[in-house]
Amino acid sequence: MMSTIQARAPRPIFGRKQSTNPIIRAVVRHALIICVLVILLYPLVWMVAASFRPSNQIFTTLGLFSAHPTLANYTEGWGAGRLNFSRYFINSFLIAILSIVGNLISCSVTAYAFARLNFPGKKFLFAMLLGTMFLPFQVTLVPQYVIFNYLGWINTYLPLIVPHWFGVNAFFIFLMVQFIRSLPRELDDSARLDGCGHFGIFARIIMPLALPAIGVVALFSFVWSWNDFLGPLLYLGRPDLWTVPLGLKAFLDSTGQSSYGGLFAMSTLSLAPIVGFFILAQRLLLEGIATTGIK
Amino acid sequence: MTSGTTPQQTLTKTSAGREATPRQLRWRSRKAREAAAAYAFLTPWLLGMVLLTLGPMLYSLYLSFTRYDLLSDPKWVGFANFVQMFTADSRFLKSVGVTLVYVLVSVPLLLVVSMLLALLLNKSMKFLTAYRVLFYVPSLIGASVAIAALWRLIFGADGIINQVLAVVGIHHDSSWVGSPHDALTTLIILAVWAFGSMMIIFLAGVRQVPRELYEAAAIDGAGVFRKFFSITLPMLTPLIFFNTLMATIGAFQAFTGAYVVSGGTGGPIDSTLFYTLYLYQQGFAQLNMGYAAAMAWLLVIVLAAVTGFFFWTARFWVHYGDE
Amino acid sequence: MNIRSCTRMIAATAAAALLLTSCSGTSGTTQTESAGTAKEGEVTGAIGVTWWGGDQRNELTNAVADMFVKEHPGVTIERQSADWTGYWTKVNVQAAGKSLPCVVQIQGRQLNDYTKNNVLIPLDPMIDAGTIAISDIPKEVVDAGRGTDGKLYFLPYGVAYDAVGINTTLAQQAGVDLPAEGYNWDDFVSFLTEAQPKLPAGVAAVDSRGGITNFFIGWAQANGKQVFGEDGKLGFSKEDLTGYWNMWEELRKANVTMSADKTAEEPTSTEQSYLATGQVMADTLPGNALTPASKTLTGAHSDQTLTSIPYPSGPNGSGNPLYPSGFAIAENCQNVPTAAAFINYFTNDPAAGKVFSADNGAPSNTKVLDAVLADASLAATKKHELELYKQILAATPPIIVFPPGYQATFEASFARNYNEAAFGRMTVAQAVDAFFSEANAGLGQ
Repeated sequence: MMSTIQARAPRPIFGRKQSTNPIIRAVVRHALIICVLVILLYPLVWMVAASFRPSNQIFTTLGLFSAHPTLANYTEGWGAGRLNFSRYFINSFLIAILSIVGNLISCSVTAYAFARLNFPGKKFLFAMLLGTMFLPFQVTLVPQYVIFNYLGWINTYLPLIVPHWFGVNAFFIFLMVQFIRSLPRELDDSARLDGCGHFGIFARIIMPLALPAIGVVALFSFVWSWNDFLGPLLYLGRPDLWTVPLGLKAFLDSTGQSSYGGLFAMSTLSLAPIVGFFILAQRLLLEGIATTGIK
Repeated sequence: MTSGTTPQQTLTKTSAGREATPRQLRWRSRKAREAAAAYAFLTPWLLGMVLLTLGPMLYSLYLSFTRYDLLSDPKWVGFANFVQMFTADSRFLKSVGVTLVYVLVSVPLLLVVSMLLALLLNKSMKFLTAYRVLFYVPSLIGASVAIAALWRLIFGADGIINQVLAVVGIHHDSSWVGSPHDALTTLIILAVWAFGSMMIIFLAGVRQVPRELYEAAAIDGAGVFRKFFSITLPMLTPLIFFNTLMATIGAFQAFTGAYVVSGGTGGPIDSTLFYTLYLYQQGFAQLNMGYAAAMAWLLVIVLAAVTGFFFWTARFWVHYGDE
Repeated sequence: MNIRSCTRMIAATAAAALLLTSCSGTSGTTQTESAGTAKEGEVTGAIGVTWWGGDQRNELTNAVADMFVKEHPGVTIERQSADWTGYWTKVNVQAAGKSLPCVVQIQGRQLNDYTKNNVLIPLDPMIDAGTIAISDIPKEVVDAGRGTDGKLYFLPYGVAYDAVGINTTLAQQAGVDLPAEGYNWDDFVSFLTEAQPKLPAGVAAVDSRGGITNFFIGWAQANGKQVFGEDGKLGFSKEDLTGYWNMWEELRKANVTMSADKTAEEPTSTEQSYLATGQVMADTLPGNALTPASKTLTGAHSDQTLTSIPYPSGPNGSGNPLYPSGFAIAENCQNVPTAAAFINYFTNDPAAGKVFSADNGAPSNTKVLDAVLADASLAATKKHELELYKQILAATPPIIVFPPGYQATFEASFARNYNEAAFGRMTVAQAVDAFFSEANAGLGQ
């Protein structure tokens, strides 16, 4: 690849010599990043700042600072409704964690079959897998509701969790297929020589090496579950089952009184778990995605 | 040595009619066991498909040939829905146009922006983790109900953009989000604003490129652009392929941004009427669930074609590492 | 690694899987309706109640439900609430699955979509049996709950109306008097046009409201135009609508109204409306939004106050239709006696009415209304809202029967087509044509 490049003296960029003071280049780099970040994040920073303003003064200024900072939005927002927001957070966590575990288990076993095993009908089933991603959710909403209603699962968490234990997220399966295919087959063979059947190879060889892909699936699974609004809207009628997005929506009411202060305060707080999860999963993530699409 | 299974009694003959050798027998039984194992591994997914996914999918296909208002039983109408879409529904055609523009503009922008930022965040530097988190955060809030309020704050008539423009002397008094010819632009910007996930994927990919390649190129005198086009870009093509395909499918199905910012209307005057938003309106607001199902299956056909096309072109420009 | 460790591990995993599947690990009960051990007429057992609203509405509704449960031991109420748009999605999906909660909140605007498909049961038998009382509710208000077949399908408990909200401070600054009682649309237009030049820069006399259905329906009623015909299609003529939209277009072009794009971006919530933030002098305002809007206005501009006056009248009388909300009973309900008792309690019980404090419009029951008004701790703006309701009611306002398809088609199409004209994409005549074909296609099926 490099043979086509002629050897020649390094050409200066922007009139500077290549060996510019690295500190200056680092400063320029950081300045550039911070500039972009400021533009990007200003709406969010404004939202956080607004959450410290009294509710009827929130939209009066585009600036960040206010004459009357207050924590009222947080205290009132947290205790909003009949139940505390703490309840909504707990519910959201419960659903998210159970969904993640289900996703990881069902998607990894499915991906292993598609990535490592040969069987009749493989091409057809893989095409079906991809095909399930094409149909918009809006039209499967009603039939799925009818199914869950028939099972008596309305007003429980089951419709939000159980599907994830059966591999309905084709996106994750496809992702893990890409990753597993990048692992060398020699490892499988040596395990087979030691007497492991397919399940043994799966559990002892593939999964430990797939830890990064597991990180990706876990993070996205958490975020999607945490932010899901339509599912909980349909299946969780009782307020003590509500998740965070439903709680946030209740702050806005076009037929009565809205509370943007509470909305912004609780939105800020609801970002915290996802950001925390991201920081934790980040290490796994960066090593994981690298091999997912490349091979 | 082996797991000690016995050869199948029925596989003792080859297709030529001769007695199968022990080696062939072992191969066949291993294939059979592999298939059995595969189906065992696939059991959760297959169960999920049959019980939870396939039923609703096929039912929605059935609905696309009916008139169904959710409150009474579906009535068969054959291809009437599909005919109506293309001949008697200007809003349908409008939604197709809006979605196509959105896909063709936002996907390339997303790819370019996330790639550039991945390159920028490639060096080991102080605060790298913090930067990554901060760039990722917008994509977490993109679906939130708070977005509508924030978007108006920026793109409203008295919003930040107009005020900043006024400072530099450009007087733009009208609202971006309230004007039919600018509203879609604001949604494209919303999509690009939430580029965080794609950037993280590219970042990981860029960091995987072996340093030796860059060093060798530097010795040969390659400049920044040369390094990018000759090393980075080719090694990233598998990820670019993955991201482009996923982003395209996602853009065709884009819903939440438009729903939240326009309040579900697709307004002003349908300028942000995405395909799936119109589908949702037809199904749930106008109680034309059969028509919505027809629109959905049309989308499936289009996406299948697009995906097939992508996979076909992939052989010309995607370079896998082990080829 | 050897055979034994492999098989041991397989066994361990299988055991873990079995353990997981045996815990259900979720909370919540199953269906809202039990088959019920209730005998005919007995008030006991479980019912589900669903309504729309935000935090405050939820709190008040739950409080009343708690009171009912206290008075009727053996009854449990499963509550479901959602915001306005989410609510209808949910109700429709539940109706499709024939699993609606027993008690469903509804308005006349959606009613006939459901009666057309027998999703709700008539309440007349319960009225005849005395379980539900309507003697203290004005007849026009009760009639709002009737379907196209004349049977009563929901019992209105809160009556909403639309008013014209006016920023009195701005009006004073502009040197115009508020329109007198019984004013008509011409008076309204001159009131706005007069005020506009004297208003501060950036403040418009009124929002660009040609696309708001309620305003139009008020105009139609005041001028004697029928909104809906016998067949459920549009009952007014294209000339009527053209005249109405032209009126608004003239106002907009004369800059008496807010610009079209600014109106398009205006948030739907009361607190963020231009009226509540002091950017317009007058606007259409739901009657019960006076209190939150005033609060917001005072927060933004501490010296400004808001008041509300009825919609303009006309040659045909009052142009102020009423929009009651109430509870209906779903056809799949398995505990009708309790549901009927709950509806009766919510609407007619004075103690319940006091707790609910007219959060969803004025109480339909006149005794409850008087009790709420007599409360000394009532806020001034709330008192004004209820007094205005009484004034409107006294003018025998029209109650409109909305045909099936109204909620689905009319409002969205009306707003969108007016905007086509306002943004210059179509002429008014073209917009009227487009609206007529869309609306007539969707109505009265």
